[in-house]
Amino acid sequence: MTGFLLRRLALALFVLVTISVITFVLSHVAVDPALGVAGDSATDEDIAAIRAQYGFDRPYLVQYAAYIGNVLSGDFGRSYLSGEPVIGLVAERVPATALLAFLSIVFALALSVPLGVLAALHPNSLLDRLALSLAVFGQAIPNFWAGLLLILVFGLNLGWLPISGSSSLAHFVLPSITLGTFAMPALMRLVRAGMIEVLDADYIRTARAMGLKERTVLWKYALRNAVLPVVSLTAVQFGFMLGGSIVVESIFAIQGIGYLAWQSMSRADMPVIQAIVLLVSMAYIVLTLAADLLNAALDPRLRRAS
Amino acid sequence: MIRFSRLLSATAVLALGATGALAGSEDNSLTIGIGEELPSFDGYISTSRDGVVMTRHLFDMLIYRNPETFEYEPLLATSWERIDDLTWEFTLREGVTFHDGSAFDAEDVAFTLNHYADPEAGARSQASVSWIENVEVVDPQTVRIVSDAPFPAALEFVAGSLPIYPSDYVESVGWQEFGQAPIGTGPYVYQAGDSNAFTLTAYEDYFEGGGKGTPAIDTIEVRIIPDTATRIAEMIGGGVDWIWNVPADQIEQLNAVPGLTAELGSTMRIAMVAMDAAGRANPESPLADPRVRQAVNHAIDRETLVSALVGGDGEVVNVPCYPMQFGCDTEAATVYDFDPERARELLAEAGHGDGFSVRMASFRDRARAEAVQQYLANVGITADLEMLQARASFSAWREGDIDMWYGDWGSFSIADVSASTGNFFNGGTNDGAQDAELIALIERGAATIDEEERRSIYSDAISRITEQAYWVPMHTIVMGYAYKDALDFTPTVDELPRFFLASWTE
Repeated sequence: MTGFLLRRLALALFVLVTISVITFVLSHVAVDPALGVAGDSATDEDIAAIRAQYGFDRPYLVQYAAYIGNVLSGDFGRSYLSGEPVIGLVAERVPATALLAFLSIVFALALSVPLGVLAALHPNSLLDRLALSLAVFGQAIPNFWAGLLLILVFGLNLGWLPISGSSSLAHFVLPSITLGTFAMPALMRLVRAGMIEVLDADYIRTARAMGLKERTVLWKYALRNAVLPVVSLTAVQFGFMLGGSIVVESIFAIQGIGYLAWQSMSRADMPVIQAIVLLVSMAYIVLTLAADLLNAALDPRLRRAS
Repeated sequence: MIRFSRLLSATAVLALGATGALAGSEDNSLTIGIGEELPSFDGYISTSRDGVVMTRHLFDMLIYRNPETFEYEPLLATSWERIDDLTWEFTLREGVTFHDGSAFDAEDVAFTLNHYADPEAGARSQASVSWIENVEVVDPQTVRIVSDAPFPAALEFVAGSLPIYPSDYVESVGWQEFGQAPIGTGPYVYQAGDSNAFTLTAYEDYFEGGGKGTPAIDTIEVRIIPDTATRIAEMIGGGVDWIWNVPADQIEQLNAVPGLTAELGSTMRIAMVAMDAAGRANPESPLADPRVRQAVNHAIDRETLVSALVGGDGEVVNVPCYPMQFGCDTEAATVYDFDPERARELLAEAGHGDGFSVRMASFRDRARAEAVQQYLANVGITADLEMLQARASFSAWREGDIDMWYGDWGSFSIADVSASTGNFFNGGTNDGAQDAELIALIERGAATIDEEERRSIYSDAISRITEQAYWVPMHTIVMGYAYKDALDFTPTVDELPRFFLASWTE
């Protein structure tokens, strides 16, 4: 178990370093950072001043070394625009994004588990086909389109829910549905596949033969075993949502991490971008790691195999 | 997303109507939707459009430029005069107070401007402050701004980009905190909100007799809604009373919603097709030949493009500046009419009768850029179009990567030709001509105080630019606004909505 853990940790560290290099290179190559800070209508004089002031005129390697040095000492720098410490800016946004991701996952699970189980009980039935169609639809529909459609129907035509903002829980309903719709299909298919396999297993036949109620067999014996891979996928999806809510946050005007990332990108506020990418990747890596460990704990075969 | 928002507003018109039509505002408040969160409320740091708008509400400049007449009017200063070529003296208004009740005087002016005149202070737009050598307090009601060289456009910047801050407050909280909890003399007081909204309340003790008048609307709720389609949905749903940056193709549908007005207001932002005459992108560029550039000018039907694709109050521009700017002499310009036949002749004369290829970048509007591409194809010029993000497009032009750039320029709302022509033909990176004669003219113009002499220098420059056809001057850019019918609001060409002049009519 210790060896397994160490290998996993080393891999996680390697991924983090790679990510920091990639973000650094991309944010310096894609846009001239001085131009981003200065804005569209800056004069040459402005740009030259900014280049000197922020040290953009130093060699890339020197800039990267300085950056990594600071990060290692826990200093993510200050926003080029507001001058505020990046860590504070990001921390301020975490609750909104975390709430959104949590509600989205809850929505996705609430939909995918019952649907997956039902589909597995009646494979190739009309119900199964419908569930499959829903999954394909949910996977294929672009976030921004689903979001606007929901705004149009529930925000405008019916007037049931607020269109944008994040001041109450009601504001999170439409965005959570939008984001959850994207996570739902993979989870549902996993539940369905797992259930079909488990329901075929000998111990289920035994359980049935012993005269246990079908409900007990299904939810207590079958689902528990089928749900293992779902747990790890849920953790990964959750990590994905932390970073992947850029579009949804922009559409629904939720001031979370995704929105901060989007805004910072359009302003080339690199310390913020780098910190977000790094922190979100870290969350993602930690969640994946946790899922791996959880699975290993639940299923001793995985430990031995690695 | 834009295309979908068309469907959105069209459907909403059919389905809704009623909710959007709630006219007026019972508690005399106004909710506006803007597109981006402001990193700071310090106007020297927050120079985006939305930032400048907020600056004008929270703070005052020494003088005010009337957006209708383009005349200067008193604001924090009641009178001003030029003492010598380098010095302007301002007499300050008495009895003005900051939002925290402290008194405003010359010390505050000197403190603010001297701080940002230092490049180390990090003012985002150095062009606004770098001309200031020193600011001297003569007495509490008199202050002098001294420039390091004769600077004819000084008053434009004083009126446009130099808000005055309370020295005591800033010194006690520091510049950083000031940007997050601003205090000014302006018509509205900042009240912090949660992260995607904040409130401005009318300042009860705002002075009378200034160019801004006194505010009629009690509170302005500012909501940050980044997505255009969502902003439009909120406008239709009645969640906000005013939005801007409405795409041109949405205006008609929004106007059809009962209770809403949508319009495309002209701005002083001018679009141009700038050409790489200096051969920065390609040393062998056919565009180095003036006949080729003239041919490009003749090839584009700007009248049709403006009426079909710009719309609203958009106008054809024949000069490399905005006609209302000081020194923008439209008479001096050579105007090229739409004449594809002549364009082909000129290309043949220049030895390019078989045509050639160029790389063209643009950012604001694909339909317009493709129209230009078609007009060029019509005379045998193949333009490979790259639609980019605004900033990437600006850098492609500045770094000399492209042959043609269909871009636009807002002159920081400065009504002086030095901010437009002066910024594109001064030999800097924006200058695709790099014409030594022009650079010399621009430099002289920027340092000449005498108005008549200055006018004539810029007329010469405009004449040379258009005769050499370094640009195809295109048209003004329009800004789309939508607001409740009951709101008395007038868009201005400087793209700076003034809510302190707005009011509810019912």
